[in-house]
Amino acid sequence: MTSTTATSETAPPLRAQRIEYDDATPMRFMAASVLWGIVGMLVGVVVALQLAWAPANVHATLGFGRLRPLHTNAVIFAFVGNMIFAGIYHSTQRLLKTRTASDLLSKIHFWGWQLIIVSAVVTLPLGLTQGKEYAELEWPIDVAITLVWVLFAINFFWTIARRNEKHLYVAIWFYIATIVTVAILHVVNSLAIPVIGGTLKSYSVYGGAQDALVQWWYGHNAVAFFLTTPVLGIMYYYLPKAAGRPVYSYRLSIIHFWALIFVYIWAGPHHLLNTALPDWAQTLGMIFSLMLWAPSWGGMLNGLLTLRGGWSKVREDPVLKFLAAGVTFYGMATFEGPLLSIKSVSGLAHYTDWIIGHVHSGALGWNGFMAAGMFYFLVPRLSGRPLYSRRLADLHFWIGTFGILLYMVAMWVSGVNQGLMWRATNPDGSLMYPTFVETLIAIRPMYWMRLIGGSMYLLGMVMMGYNLVRTGLTAKVVTTKVDVVPLAPAPEVPWRDVIFSRPIVLTVVVLGLAGAGMASNAFASPLFLIVAFVVALFGVLAIQHARRSGGAPFHRILEGRALLFTVLAGLAVLAGGVAEIVPALIVKPVEAVDAKPYRALELEGRDVFIAEGCYTCHSQMIRPMRFETVRYGDPSTLAESVYDHPFQWGSKRTGPDLAREGGKYPHLWHYRHLVDPRAITAGSNMPPYAHLEGARLDLTRTGDKMHALSKVGVPYTADEMRDAEADARAQAGAIVAELAKDGAEVEPDTQMIAVIAYLQRLGKKPEPSKGATEGVSMQEPSTKETTK
Amino acid sequence: MKSSNEPNEPESSESVDRVIHEVDGIQEYDNKLPNWWLYTLYGAVAFAVGYWYWYQNASIGQSPLEAYQAEMDRAAAEQAMALTVGDATPEALVALSKDPSALALGKQVFVSTCAACHRADGGGSVGPNLTDDFWLHGSAPDKIFRTIASGVPDKGMPAWQPQLGALKTQAVTAYVLGLVGTNVAGGKTPQGEREPISAR
Repeated sequence: MTSTTATSETAPPLRAQRIEYDDATPMRFMAASVLWGIVGMLVGVVVALQLAWAPANVHATLGFGRLRPLHTNAVIFAFVGNMIFAGIYHSTQRLLKTRTASDLLSKIHFWGWQLIIVSAVVTLPLGLTQGKEYAELEWPIDVAITLVWVLFAINFFWTIARRNEKHLYVAIWFYIATIVTVAILHVVNSLAIPVIGGTLKSYSVYGGAQDALVQWWYGHNAVAFFLTTPVLGIMYYYLPKAAGRPVYSYRLSIIHFWALIFVYIWAGPHHLLNTALPDWAQTLGMIFSLMLWAPSWGGMLNGLLTLRGGWSKVREDPVLKFLAAGVTFYGMATFEGPLLSIKSVSGLAHYTDWIIGHVHSGALGWNGFMAAGMFYFLVPRLSGRPLYSRRLADLHFWIGTFGILLYMVAMWVSGVNQGLMWRATNPDGSLMYPTFVETLIAIRPMYWMRLIGGSMYLLGMVMMGYNLVRTGLTAKVVTTKVDVVPLAPAPEVPWRDVIFSRPIVLTVVVLGLAGAGMASNAFASPLFLIVAFVVALFGVLAIQHARRSGGAPFHRILEGRALLFTVLAGLAVLAGGVAEIVPALIVKPVEAVDAKPYRALELEGRDVFIAEGCYTCHSQMIRPMRFETVRYGDPSTLAESVYDHPFQWGSKRTGPDLAREGGKYPHLWHYRHLVDPRAITAGSNMPPYAHLEGARLDLTRTGDKMHALSKVGVPYTADEMRDAEADARAQAGAIVAELAKDGAEVEPDTQMIAVIAYLQRLGKKPEPSKGATEGVSMQEPSTKETTK
Repeated sequence: MKSSNEPNEPESSESVDRVIHEVDGIQEYDNKLPNWWLYTLYGAVAFAVGYWYWYQNASIGQSPLEAYQAEMDRAAAEQAMALTVGDATPEALVALSKDPSALALGKQVFVSTCAACHRADGGGSVGPNLTDDFWLHGSAPDKIFRTIASGVPDKGMPAWQPQLGALKTQAVTAYVLGLVGTNVAGGKTPQGEREPISAR
């Protein structure tokens, strides 16, 4: 290793300049984070109450299905979003020894982001949604997010370009990865085609399995690159600062950074294990999730080991308490994650509350506590006043920790319990708990326990808000001025020599060989893998040898080259996305030939289903497991959802799966059940949807919707689009007539009738309507006819 | 992954807790990676490669769909061997309808499963009234059993035997036999053919 240190490089005597940091921006972001955090978690408590006690669904716009997306969006993008912006704006200036490049861009970023949040608060309860989890916001808001993010990126990289510190510290690496990757994820996942004619409605350009893959590539990496990497960067700045201890290991930073961003991006399909997604993609998702364990723990270790010798301080300082606990929760969540990604474990845990517990240990424990640690550290320093009450902060810590533990234990018990009940069978293969609601009633006490845990956490947040406001969260910031020495122009290593340096060439060659091995057959594969292993071994030895004989450390050079660093980080992230998603976009399932798009009224019903957020509690994906097919019918196939834009496979079963709901019950059952779920199923916690009876459909627009869908590959004919309204009325008339026969009078052009039409279509082929079927029946795997 | 770039020099003990960089007052050590952490990383990579080879390259392991087919084949074979729990003959069902333990089980199943559509007292709501003398699909005990076991998919009556199993299906049939003729108050209007209980 070299013994030259960074300080000796700034030797040339340039005149020092006095600069003033922009601390108003981070303070503003912190205030917004605290405010939205309390709002978002309050909504969380409300939805938790609704799950435990259905009468809490007091109004159509405040039902669980509409509030749940508001809760997730508010906590992820408003609470954590504003928190990471605060941390990035504050620490970046100091790590680069320069003021943020543009105050105007900082202001536009701040107010633009708050405007986006407000528009989410308005549109989501109104049912304006794209129906993709954590990406529900409709297209105009998506465009605004893209713009604001690009301005943020410009401001950030412009600041880097003006830096007075040659080498980028590890926190900056994580910020770079965050900004680049979130931009890619958001744009690719949100691509949608708007319905022409002045509405906010749009349909995802992806359908079925493709949409599932893109959505969970996004969804998982929103966790990775919005909730994890920026917060790791924040940890690398504030933890050593608060502890006054050196970071444990620079080389661990390097290894876990690159490993984390490269591996994370592949792991998305672990949200789709045992579904109809092609098996190779599922296996990739699983093995990369397992490989993610060590890189994640690298971050935890570097944080916890930095505290070596400083634990007595942890006992006294609320800042360190929160940071240390936050990092510990990170370690727990990133151990649980790979565990849940094992196919058989997922078979038990998927669709249950275990997953809800898992995300909350991350969100409350890691994000919430890291935020609190950072706020308690920063607000006194930026306002120039001591923390108003350390005891209150301590109380916040303990009530928060206890709240998280209650929450997690409740969800573990509930998830494992319900998962086991779903799969419990008698010796003859019949279900031990054939009615779904039995399994819900069994876990109801856990829903109350979760509500208590969540409420305690919220109480802690309110205490923090009060404490911080009294300290000076809303006060004017004190100005911090420092003298910095501008960077002296120095000869640079040519960029080609960096790109084609041994570590990078070796990495590319080894990964290429390994990739070739994975893509080839049973006999060629071991050869590739053995060659990859040998090359890796000798390559590392060669690099070590060169290092000992005095070469400059490669990564140190790279850290001085922000653009090269950004490009390489971008490539590391893109590799996994391209390898997984591109094949899925090209291949179309063979069986799709036999699938038929929804009829006009069914499509309208589907839009109601999405707007009401039904997908937040009902999956449409029957997994190939006997206990599951006994309950719901044959396993779902790729063809069945090929025209679903967006896909509706779901991720949680608070209610039963609906993939083969069609024809299972008469229209009257659905009508009564939607009006008052508990009139049909005692003990159900589904919100009532009586308001659908009075909500009129605008059938003049249905043709436009079909037209939009036809642009993204749904094969509607010109006749079908023209006759959409007539067809919808005909189908509605038939349903209304049958309901009337059973004694229920419902108006035909209502959302109620449309959603019944949709539910009755699920898992069924449509009745042959006038158009001739171009039925080129291909050989199809076993599961052809639907059951029940 | 760049995991292998950094040397592990056991001989250079001077690298323990030695500050190598400092920025904005934050110092960095360059300590060795904990061995157990490295083994976790290598182990996970080795497992991943092996798992992929086993399931994807060599296809030795079963995919979820293949495993499901095998499970269903096994179940079908078992079911072919084991006959149903007591044949559901009319006589057996009538006998069962006089057995208190069967009735207790049947009532339990009825309340949790059937009451949603047929009302807790059998008076009917979404589904028909089970307490009058009118029948849509036959009033004979074996016909009632078949209606419950195999369902009437067109009318929205699910097939219950796959979910409930033979025993509970028979028990609930026995319970329904006991409801016939109770003509509860406020029951649904009669549907189907009049088949008084004496006719069976």
